[in-house]
Amino acid sequence: MTDARKQQGEKLTEAEAIERAKQGDAAAFKVLYDLHKRRVYSLCLRMTQNTASAEDLTQEAFLQLFRKIGTFRGESAFSTWLHRMSVNVVLMQLRKKNLPIVPIDDTLEGDEEGTVKKEPGAPDERLTGAIDRLRLQNAVDSLPPGYRTIFVLHDVEGYEHNEIAEMVGCSIGNSKSQLHKARLKLRELLKADRAEKARK
Amino acid sequence: MNCPEFERDLPECVEGVPSPEQQAHLNSCPTCSGLLLDLNSIASQAQMLSAADEPSAAVWNALEERLWSEGLIRRSAPAYLPAEVKPSFMQRWRAAWLVPVAAALAVVAVVKLYHPANVGDKNPVATQSQPQAQAPAPAQSARLKHKPALSHEDQQWLSTVSSRPPAQLAKFRSDLDQANAFIEDAQQSLQEDPNDVYMQQMLMNAYEQKQMLYELVVDDSSH
Repeated sequence: MTDARKQQGEKLTEAEAIERAKQGDAAAFKVLYDLHKRRVYSLCLRMTQNTASAEDLTQEAFLQLFRKIGTFRGESAFSTWLHRMSVNVVLMQLRKKNLPIVPIDDTLEGDEEGTVKKEPGAPDERLTGAIDRLRLQNAVDSLPPGYRTIFVLHDVEGYEHNEIAEMVGCSIGNSKSQLHKARLKLRELLKADRAEKARK
Repeated sequence: MNCPEFERDLPECVEGVPSPEQQAHLNSCPTCSGLLLDLNSIASQAQMLSAADEPSAAVWNALEERLWSEGLIRRSAPAYLPAEVKPSFMQRWRAAWLVPVAAALAVVAVVKLYHPANVGDKNPVATQSQPQAQAPAPAQSARLKHKPALSHEDQQWLSTVSSRPPAQLAKFRSDLDQANAFIEDAQQSLQEDPNDVYMQQMLMNAYEQKQMLYELVVDDSSH
């Protein structure tokens, strides 16, 4: 980008910011940070449920990224590269704290958790209407850690089961199983929340 | 197909297209149909949680500090030099900082030229891969008042070259002490005036030069 453009206050594109960041340009780092901070932070927050931890992990993820930015050759999207790094940072932190990531070899077969809970004689009511973002967020935060990890990685962040299996160290079948249970659990939580709201 | 059978196959239905058998059951069972719709809705609405939150300004501030301290970022030096640029600092260091780097480059060049591995090489001069830096004009040499403490990284670096001849090792240590003292001095100057852009640039240069010292010597060790 020419100095004239810069003087006119035109923003750097991501590609321009990456090249400038490789040269140590502080402003370029800030551009990259601002472009991706929300997604990285949200991921960390969903996985840890703690704002202080999430901020520390966000900082760590970006620090690792910027240390290695000189090696980025553009074979994949920058956001993909950053995001994968963020996931690894979070998972490493969870492992360090011996926090459960995903239960081992837990499949649907013969598992009560994998079925729809119904009271005898009562219809299974639908979760009608649009799902409120805040309520969904609260419900996700209420999930058991293993369910939450898989749900966040798959449904929120868009990773495929084979990618999740590789990242968290479980089987693809386990990843699918946990995801299904997570969604069923969320449905229960959202219905209960809606019933509670209706009673008030 | 009954409801338990459908529920067993439910995960595939949520992430894919129901089979004709499954679709037939969905058409006749409002409970399973409602369940599938709910799970699909949850899966699709989950994306709104991505990038939903914003970190506080403190995150960037702390990150910037780390980037700065690691020498990963630099601010643009002013087009002009301040009329008075820390005369005491410049009197201490001026071009003297370049001397250890030039010396290191010269040492590496000599070692490569006369390294035993080059015996039998018909053109030993050709093995000289490192450019010889021109030593700067003699300048007021810096007298170290004290040796800054070695960081863990410094100690690791010294251990990689510990097999070198003592005289060479002493020279490396001296160069490293010079580099650290320069960095420490620049940092102290910045503490007095954190907004001194020129001093910030000097500190950045110091980190870069120290890194060059590491790379020159370690690179030679690997050959």
